[in-house]
Amino acid sequence: MKILIVEDDRSLREIMIRSLEKERYVVESAADYQEASLKLNDYDYDCVVLDVMLPGGSGLTLLEELKKMHKKESVIIVSAKDSIEDKVTGLDLGADDYLTKPFHLAELNARIKSIIRRNQQDGEINIELANITVYPDRHAVYINNEELILNRKEFDLLYYFVTNPNRLISKSALAESVWGDYIDQTDSFDFIYSQVKNLRKKLKTAGATPEIKAVYGFGYKMTDEE
Amino acid sequence: MKLIQYTFRKLAFPLLIVMAVWATAFYFLILYEIDDETNDSLQNYKEIIIKQFLSDSTALANHPDIMTRYQIREIPAKDANLSEDVFYDSTKYIEIEMEFEPIRVLRSNFMDANGKYYELVIETSTLEKEDLIETILFSIIILYLVLLVCILLVNRYVFKKSFRPLYTILDWLKKFRPDKPIEPLNNDTPIEEFAILNEGITDASKRSSALYEQQKQFVENASHEMQTPLAVCLNKLELLSENPDCTQEQLTEIADIHQTLGGIVKMNKSLLLLSRIENKQFADTETVSINAITKKIIQDFSDIYEEKQIKISVSENASLKYIMNESLATILIKNIVKNAFVHNIADGEINITISENTFSIENTGNCPELNKEKLFRRFAKQTDNNKSTGLGLAIVQSIILTYKISITYHYTGKHQFVLTFR
Repeated sequence: MKILIVEDDRSLREIMIRSLEKERYVVESAADYQEASLKLNDYDYDCVVLDVMLPGGSGLTLLEELKKMHKKESVIIVSAKDSIEDKVTGLDLGADDYLTKPFHLAELNARIKSIIRRNQQDGEINIELANITVYPDRHAVYINNEELILNRKEFDLLYYFVTNPNRLISKSALAESVWGDYIDQTDSFDFIYSQVKNLRKKLKTAGATPEIKAVYGFGYKMTDEE
Repeated sequence: MKLIQYTFRKLAFPLLIVMAVWATAFYFLILYEIDDETNDSLQNYKEIIIKQFLSDSTALANHPDIMTRYQIREIPAKDANLSEDVFYDSTKYIEIEMEFEPIRVLRSNFMDANGKYYELVIETSTLEKEDLIETILFSIIILYLVLLVCILLVNRYVFKKSFRPLYTILDWLKKFRPDKPIEPLNNDTPIEEFAILNEGITDASKRSSALYEQQKQFVENASHEMQTPLAVCLNKLELLSENPDCTQEQLTEIADIHQTLGGIVKMNKSLLLLSRIENKQFADTETVSINAITKKIIQDFSDIYEEKQIKISVSENASLKYIMNESLATILIKNIVKNAFVHNIADGEINITISENTFSIENTGNCPELNKEKLFRRFAKQTDNNKSTGLGLAIVQSIILTYKISITYHYTGKHQFVLTFR
């Protein structure tokens, strides 16, 4: 799996590289428009993480060029602009997803996985983690081939955990991912506690081997090793 | 008030004063003139009568005419005063007219060749003063009204003719929006003042459009400049937390910083949202259903604040539809409903009532009545809830100012906010 990160901020670029390398992707990076343009011309990638404001030109222009070359790269725009018009412009130009800075690494991870899965597999798309199988498109979960009934929020939580296995996920990342804009200024994330507790109980009863571990004060981690 | 009404009022009042002063002056002038004339004729008459009397003392002792009467009687020498004629006004009962009529009287003394003294009194009918006042008042009022009508007509004409460029400019200004391209101002005029105004307004609007553009750029750039370093901090902490060497204490510290940073991220987003609303960057409008938005929001917040066990009742008396930006409508209702949840107590209540043009929400809460003045100011927190950004109601305020929506706050044991959509 090859990913190109186009981001002009050195620190952010390095963080994204480190985080994605943990997921065993081959990660390359470009710091400005020219470099990115050259790399996109010369190589093929599975996914491009694209910043909009770049030295030497706009990321959106780069996206247009990419589409003109009829390349199959999936593109996630990562931008500090979060107005609806900007998102619509980006998606109209052919981007697969739009992520607003600042974002959680777990969120970036989940989005990249979802896009790669959509583009690469034919037929029904599922994610497997040990004996858990998740079908995101029809919101179904199977444990040892037996269906587990979850409510909407529990499913969203599980989906986030299985796309970020063995990674510590902060409560705020979980909350933002599952409850979207509504937790914009929410004071506490206590509500996550009870939801995760329910999910954990259901998984345990159904005999799932991966386990959700609480990391005190910070968040949760799904581990699939015994 | 329109300019034409204003000038008309400003002219009408001084004109009234001028006319009143003039009427008074005119009255006294006429009166003086009449008295003077009457006196002169009485004097002439006196000369004639005395001359005739001296030549034939029996002939003209008395003369009871209607217009002019006179009497002559002998007086003692000590009462006589030859040097002075006395004029005065009086009234006399006229039988024909059966009323008292005003008369002017001349009293004069003279001496005949025998050394006898006589007194001559001449009376003549004169003008009725009430009639005069009435006539003058009447004509002045007529004149005043005629003048007003003239002024009105002239004003109309002048405004229509010479102020046309002004109205063209006003129409153009009404259409001017700094976020839209500027229409050309076609307003040729030979009048220097208006030409200057044209130029000034075109310049100012160009400048304000440019400033608006700059500010928008600034908002976007500020957003970019803040968001990237914030992303770096947030993500570095996340990477750090995944380091297996981290102890539990360190993780707790990292979690603290992570959460605080999250607060800054949210505050930055709220500030950017505020400036975007104030820059009118949410221009697209559509008919939104406040009922539908409310139901969706209530559902989501109930999940989040499940542990508070708040009783929520929504009574929909009517369907509330309003033309506005859909994102703004959602943000508006979200912020108001969120407040009702956040500042509520465990086992509290939230009552929402939606009618044809009002959205009312009341909630139980710990804090006493809030200060209405500070309520919508930025960062004016009235509770010690240090996790709120103090921007929620400021955002509400800036949204309602964009539309014809008003908000009121009441406290009757519960906190109540009412949005009125006009």
